[in-house]
Amino acid sequence: MKRYALEGVHVLDFTWVGVGPITTKYLGDNGADVIRVESAARPDILRLAPPWKDAQPGIDTSQFFASFNTSKRSITLDLGKPKARELVLKLLPWADIVAESFTPKALRKWELDYEHLRALKPELIMLSTCMQGQTGPNALYPGFGQLMAALSGYYHIAGYAPGEPPSPPYGAYTDFIAPRFAACALLAALDYRRRTGRGQYIDMSQYEAALHNLAPVLVDYFASGRVAGPAGNRSERYAPHGAYRCADLDGQERWLALAVASEEEWRSMLAALGSPTADSRFATMAARMENRAALDEFVGALVRERDADALTAALQAAGVSAYPVQNCVDIHRDDNLESFGFWHWLDHKVMGPSPYEGMAHRLSRTPGELRTPAPTLGQHNDEVFGEMLGLDAAEIARLKEERVIF
Amino acid sequence: MGSELLSGFRMLDLADEKGALCSKIFADMGADVIKVEPPQGCSTRRIPPFVDDVPDAERSLYFIAYQAGKRSVTLNLDSPDGRALLEDLVRKSDFLLESFPVGYLESIGLGYERLAELNPRIIHTSITPFGDTGPGKNYKACDIVSWAAGGPMFLMGEEGKPPLEMSLPQAALHAGAEAAVASLLAHYSREIEGHGQRVVVDMQACVAWTLMNEQAMPILHGDYIRRSGVHYTAIGTRRKLVYACKDGYISTVLAGGSGVGTTSMKGLVEWMAGSGFAADWMITKNWATWVPGILMKATDADREEIADLEDRVQRFFNTMTKREIYAEALKRRILLAPVATAADIADDVQLKARNYFVRVEHDTLGRTLTLPGAFAKFSVTPVGPGRRAPRLGEHNGEVWGELLGIDGARLARLRAIGAI
Repeated sequence: MKRYALEGVHVLDFTWVGVGPITTKYLGDNGADVIRVESAARPDILRLAPPWKDAQPGIDTSQFFASFNTSKRSITLDLGKPKARELVLKLLPWADIVAESFTPKALRKWELDYEHLRALKPELIMLSTCMQGQTGPNALYPGFGQLMAALSGYYHIAGYAPGEPPSPPYGAYTDFIAPRFAACALLAALDYRRRTGRGQYIDMSQYEAALHNLAPVLVDYFASGRVAGPAGNRSERYAPHGAYRCADLDGQERWLALAVASEEEWRSMLAALGSPTADSRFATMAARMENRAALDEFVGALVRERDADALTAALQAAGVSAYPVQNCVDIHRDDNLESFGFWHWLDHKVMGPSPYEGMAHRLSRTPGELRTPAPTLGQHNDEVFGEMLGLDAAEIARLKEERVIF
Repeated sequence: MGSELLSGFRMLDLADEKGALCSKIFADMGADVIKVEPPQGCSTRRIPPFVDDVPDAERSLYFIAYQAGKRSVTLNLDSPDGRALLEDLVRKSDFLLESFPVGYLESIGLGYERLAELNPRIIHTSITPFGDTGPGKNYKACDIVSWAAGGPMFLMGEEGKPPLEMSLPQAALHAGAEAAVASLLAHYSREIEGHGQRVVVDMQACVAWTLMNEQAMPILHGDYIRRSGVHYTAIGTRRKLVYACKDGYISTVLAGGSGVGTTSMKGLVEWMAGSGFAADWMITKNWATWVPGILMKATDADREEIADLEDRVQRFFNTMTKREIYAEALKRRILLAPVATAADIADDVQLKARNYFVRVEHDTLGRTLTLPGAFAKFSVTPVGPGRRAPRLGEHNGEVWGELLGIDGARLARLRAIGAI
C-alpha cells in the first residue's frame, strides 16, 4: 500500500512565482516527485522577496519562496542554452506531468512547448498557466497576481461604499484562487490518463480561473446590467454583520467579526452579551437591515469595552457566529489552527527552523505532509544529473562551468 | 454533453454554500453531481441577490452560478426512510460531500464508518469551519467570520475604520475549491488501491492560505502589516497601489527591479514624458535597482522619489479613462490593470477572443443566462458548465426511479410520509 496519494507520480516543474509552485506543492506534499527546474540566470522572483530569515535578503533565505515549495527538488538549468534543452529532454521520459508558468512565448522559443514535447512523449500531461491564457490579444500580458486581482474584479468589490476608493484584498489575491483549480485540472487529467492512456494539454488563464470566485456578480451583470460594487461589511443575509471594535490588547486594537443569521441567533446574541431587550428598530431581520447604522452602533457599544476572545467564547457557546479579526501574530497562536496541525517548523538547509503553512485539508488514509523544506537553489543538481541521468562527476562539473547547469 | 474528464463518477452533494464550488468543479469536469437537498431546499437557494430581485428558490444568482450542471433530489434526513434512501445512494456513488455541523452525520447513524461499510470506495469529504478536533470544532462561521479568523480581513480596509470583507464573500469559495483538490487526491489513490477515505477540510486554514507572504512577517521581520486602504505598507514605506482616473480606478506597481519591472517603469516614464508629466529625475533614473518598499528598505531619498512619482502618476492618469490607460499599458508592457467592474469584465477583448463566457438556457426562468466558462482549456476533455442549475427536486423521478429502481407506488408512499 502506498503511503501517499501520489506516490510514483513524476512532475517536471518549470513554474515560478505563485500559482504554478502552489499547484505543484499540492502534488509534492502528497508524494509526487516534483523537480523544479530553476536558474540562477533567472531566479524565481520569490526567492528575492521578503520575509527573509533574520530579515536578511538572499537567494536561499526567503520564506515567501519556501512556503510555496515544500516537498520538491531543485535543479538549475539555463534554458537558453542548447545543452540545457538536451538535459530537459533526457528527463522527459521520466515525467508524467510537465508544468510551466512563463509568458506564452518562452517555451516556444526554447522549443520546449507542448507540440515539441508531445512529439517525444504523446501521453504527457502538460499544464501551462499564465496571466491571461496562451491565446488571444492579451496573451503576453506581463502582470502578476496583485494586478490580476484588480483586473478580475476583486478590487472593485472591496471598499466601504460605492464611489469611494477601493480597499483591496492583500497581495496577489488571485494567486490563491487559481492553484486550486490548476491542481484539480492536473489530478483529474492524471486519472483520465490512467483510464484511457491519453495525456493532454491544459491552458489555464489565471484570469479565467479567478473569475469563478466572482461568478454570481458576473451572472447578475449579464442578466440585469447591475454592476456590483463595494458594500463595506453590509450583508443582505445577516444583520448584524460586520467587524466591531473591542477592548485593545497590549496596546493593539482588536475587532470582533460577527454575523447573526436568524431571530433565534439574535436573541441568543443579546442574552450572551447580557443586553436588555433591544428596541423595536431591531425586532426582526428586516427591521435590523432597515436600521443598519443604528444597529452597528448598538452592537458596537455592547462589545467596545470587552475582550474579543471572551466575546467569541460566549457568543459561540450561544450558537452565534463570531471570531476575532486575527492578524498574523494571532493566527500563529490560534488554538483551532494548532489543533488541525496547520503550522509546521521545518529545518531548512540555509534558514534553519522556519514557519510553514501546512495543508488546509486532511486525508484519513493517505495524508499528505510537508515532506521536506523548500530546496536551496540547485540543491539536487548532483542527485538528478548524476544519479537519475547517469552523468559522471566530471561531466557535471563541466556543465556547471559552462553555465548550462546554472 | 458533459466533459469526459470525470464522466462515470458520481458525487452526492449535501453541502451548503461551503461545498458549492467543490461540486461545481466536479460537475464542470463531467461528474454526475446530485444535490441532495432538504425538502425546503438547499440554503444556497436563498442567498440574495435574485434575478430581477424577485426572491425565489430558483432565482438566487449564487445558486444559479454555483449549482449549474448538477441534478437535484429532495430528501428528508430526519426520516428513517429518508436516511435509508441516502444509504442506497451512497452504494451507487463515489463521493459524498457535506458541511454539516461536526458530528451530525454520526448522530443520525451516517458517519464515515457507516458510509464505508455501505461502500468501501466512498470518499467522504467534510467541510468544517474550524476543523473537527479543536476547541472551535462546534463553532459556527458565517463567511465573514472565517474571513476574520483566517487573517485576510485584518489587512483590508482603512486605518480607523473597520476591517473589511469583499461584497461577494470569499471564504466558502476557497473552502469549496480546496475540498475539490482534496477529494481528487483521495480519488486518485482510490482508483489505484480500491479504498476510499475520509477527507476533512478546514475553512479557516483555507482562508489563511490567501495571506501570501504575510504569515511569517511577524516571526521573521518582527512586525505585521496594518490595513492602509489603497496602499501597501511594508519595509518602512507606504506604496500606493490604486490611482484614480477619469472614470474609475487603475492599479499599477511602481517598481523597477527584475526585467519586467524595469521595462514597465521605462515604458511608463517614456509615456508620461511624451505629455510632459515626467520629472527629469524619472527620465534618467536607473530603474533596475529601484524597488524600495517592495524588495528593499526605503531611504529618505527613496521616500521623496516615491512621493513625487506617485503624485505625478496620479495627475497623469487623471487625464484618461481606464480603457485608454489599459490599452496603452498593454502596448508598452507596463505592469498595470484597470480596477475592473463586472461591466468591464463582460466587455473584455481577451475573454471574448477566448470565448470564455458560456450561455446556458434557463427554461425555468424562460431566458438564457451567461456564466463563467471553463476554468481551464483542456485539449482532449473540454470542461465547463453544461446545463443550468436544477429546480428543487427536479431529478427525483430520474434518481429515485431510474438510478435506485424505486417503483411508482413506493415513490408515492415516500412522498406521502415526507421522506422525499
